[in-house]
Amino acid sequence: MILEMKNISKSFGPVQALKDVSFDVQHGEIHGLLGENGAGKTTLMNVLAGTFPPDSGTILIDGAEVVGMTPRKANEKKIRFIHQELNLCNDLTVFQNMFLGEEYSKDFWKIDRKRELKHAQEVLDSMNSGISAAYLVADLDTAQKQMVEIARALLFSSELIIMDEPTTALNNREIEKLFTIMETLKKEGVSFIYISHKMPELFRICDRYTVLRDGDFIQSGFFRDINEHQATELLVGKRFVQAHIKEGLPSSITDKVVLRAKNLQGKTFKNVSFDLHAGEIVIFTGLQGSGTDELATSLFGASSLSGGTVETSSGPLDMRDIKHVMKSGIGMIPRNRKERGILPDLSIRNNNSLAYLVSKHKAFFVSSKEEKARFEKSRIRMDIKVSNDLNPITSLSGGNQQKVILSRWLEIDADVYIMDNPTQGIDVGAKFAIYKLVVELASQGKAVLFFTSEYPEIHQLADRCFVLYKGEVTSELIRDEISEVAIMEYSTGTHREAHK
Amino acid sequence: MKGLTMKNFQGKEAWRTMTTNYSHWLSFILLLVVAIIVSPSFLSWNNITNQFVQGAIVGICAMGMSLIISAGMIDLSVGSSVALISGFGVTILNSTHSITLTLLFCLGAGMLLGLINGLLVTKGRIAPFIVTLATMSAWRSVINQMGQGGPFTVDKTMYAPFRALAAGRFLGIPHLMIFLIVISFLTAMLMSKTKFGTYVYAVGSNQQAARLSGINVDRVKTLIFTYAGMLYGLAAFLLASRLTSIQAASAGSGYEMDAIAAVAIGGTSMDGGKGKILGTFLGVLMLRIINTVLIMANVPPFLNGLVTGVIIIVAVLAQSTKKNK
Repeated sequence: MILEMKNISKSFGPVQALKDVSFDVQHGEIHGLLGENGAGKTTLMNVLAGTFPPDSGTILIDGAEVVGMTPRKANEKKIRFIHQELNLCNDLTVFQNMFLGEEYSKDFWKIDRKRELKHAQEVLDSMNSGISAAYLVADLDTAQKQMVEIARALLFSSELIIMDEPTTALNNREIEKLFTIMETLKKEGVSFIYISHKMPELFRICDRYTVLRDGDFIQSGFFRDINEHQATELLVGKRFVQAHIKEGLPSSITDKVVLRAKNLQGKTFKNVSFDLHAGEIVIFTGLQGSGTDELATSLFGASSLSGGTVETSSGPLDMRDIKHVMKSGIGMIPRNRKERGILPDLSIRNNNSLAYLVSKHKAFFVSSKEEKARFEKSRIRMDIKVSNDLNPITSLSGGNQQKVILSRWLEIDADVYIMDNPTQGIDVGAKFAIYKLVVELASQGKAVLFFTSEYPEIHQLADRCFVLYKGEVTSELIRDEISEVAIMEYSTGTHREAHK
Repeated sequence: MKGLTMKNFQGKEAWRTMTTNYSHWLSFILLLVVAIIVSPSFLSWNNITNQFVQGAIVGICAMGMSLIISAGMIDLSVGSSVALISGFGVTILNSTHSITLTLLFCLGAGMLLGLINGLLVTKGRIAPFIVTLATMSAWRSVINQMGQGGPFTVDKTMYAPFRALAAGRFLGIPHLMIFLIVISFLTAMLMSKTKFGTYVYAVGSNQQAARLSGINVDRVKTLIFTYAGMLYGLAAFLLASRLTSIQAASAGSGYEMDAIAAVAIGGTSMDGGKGKILGTFLGVLMLRIINTVLIMANVPPFLNGLVTGVIIIVAVLAQSTKKNK
């Protein structure tokens, strides 16, 4: 199959996600699609798979224009989209999943299980997967589930398979296995569009690349003509650097160690050690799946550590008890405000005081006067726009909700603040207020551990920055060494071997 | 244009907030008016106290149920727990001849039964519906075996002083009415003025966020069941005192349904996070008023359940229209 997408544009309201993007995939080619989060990769693939129509532009398959692409039509044209999140039903068997929605039938109303089982097994065997089609999907590991997704694509002899970050949950051996299968299929004439952030993998498996940035087509070419560093530069572009919050402020870092983590190990990270000093802002960054998510919650005792110790000046902490961690002077602003931050049925005032009640409030009864006074202090400090603090927190805008969550933790006056993507999904003004707060906290001698994947934040705030790749720290950069290209390189594993 | 739609939205929102926040008052007053129309003597002191007396024992159970539902859980074992404790309570009373010991036993036994529910839910990671379905069946079976078909009857020697607890009056106010009001008041204080109350709503609203705020979710859930259990123990004590004879197979049967109904009519969301103790208190009275009105209006008693059922559905529908705005 030869695919051509010409001059595709697509906007969602005022946001132009794709601007006049053209792109082609040849017969038996693995084509790497590169771009940062929000660059438009997934939008482009959704247009191709018929999830929604483009505003303008054409799709040609083997030279013939396809008008009005729908998911069903895409299937008929032998295009399959394997999404980043696996779409399998755990309680069904492998073959039932593979045929879901497209079952073979017999006698008008019965499912032809025998025929399904046989066909599914043939495909799985042809991939050398070692998976039995009669297994329950729940019993498979992630790599095997990925294989089943691919097998499902092959079942109806797809000619173009789109893979959106297929290796996020796979280890090296499993990735190698996936690549072997892809190469075999490629020889048989199957084409792939491969979306990934990991440079070594892209250079290992792909023939050509296309780079998107902010919805624009940047460049296409052969991977053999560029190196990883050049690819990273294409990805990031020369970006305007914003004015600096910390500029002109004296450094607030002291020699006093307020938190010492040694050899921390969890399900998705290992060997993480660092010292955190009073007055210091330390950033942890990494791509999705690099282990930063779990590291953040582990440092607060909210996910269990399988190894390592965390110490404050008063000795090692019991990391199985959140309340103990809080009382030892650590606070955490969790990621994903909606799921982990707000208590939607509770008032703004109650949302503000929860952490204080847990770790500071001794008496059984709570005085509403005192609670109101505490919120009033937070409101002024954080400039929260509120009409009545007894309204539910959901009556506030996202930015103001997040300010309430932040002040929830400021109330306990911790020494160390873990902030896990605190600016997710809030407006620029509120973001800036949070940056200012972080710098202010540091100047008061607090230490801040800030988890983010957005470069502008790292640039604004970091005294030091740790970059994680596949669960390990690939680099510790001090302020002067931090650049967007460097961070992208370390988080995509580009300079991994050289620095070992 | 934008400002105008915004304003309309806020107006609607304010109306909606008012009707949902005070929906229990609105329906209570509506029912009361209907009752007075059907029977002008409804507001006589005698009848009012009677409503409280009839509703007191289930009402005390409903206070416990309020906490459980506010935290996003459910308890089906109310009736069986009450039967088990009151049956045992009568046995204790007959052998010790001490009302104080009997009361202490009932409260303690209630807390123990609640603790068992709580631990199975938190440590055993079993859904509250299943845990309490199992304990409902188990406790009823135990008391049936103990009673061997016969009732637990208070001895003649203890009959008068024990019965006076539930049947007596203080300054013309029936004891049961005082019990219901005091327990409701204390529970309302617990939920609105203490850390624990805030934690209960927090757990029901967003368990994950509650945990990440440092709240020990498992301990809160266990304490909720224990507190509710204690109230069931008190209800069992009062039931024994009121009836002086406990039928193992039928005592307390249907209490869980009445308690859940009172909580639902009172405007507490079954999803947890929101709960009104005052609403439950009014809910208990509303159930009683419905009952009385039906009798006075000569509705065949067999249809009583149908009308109650319809009213519960209407109450919960009012909540869900609010959610699917």
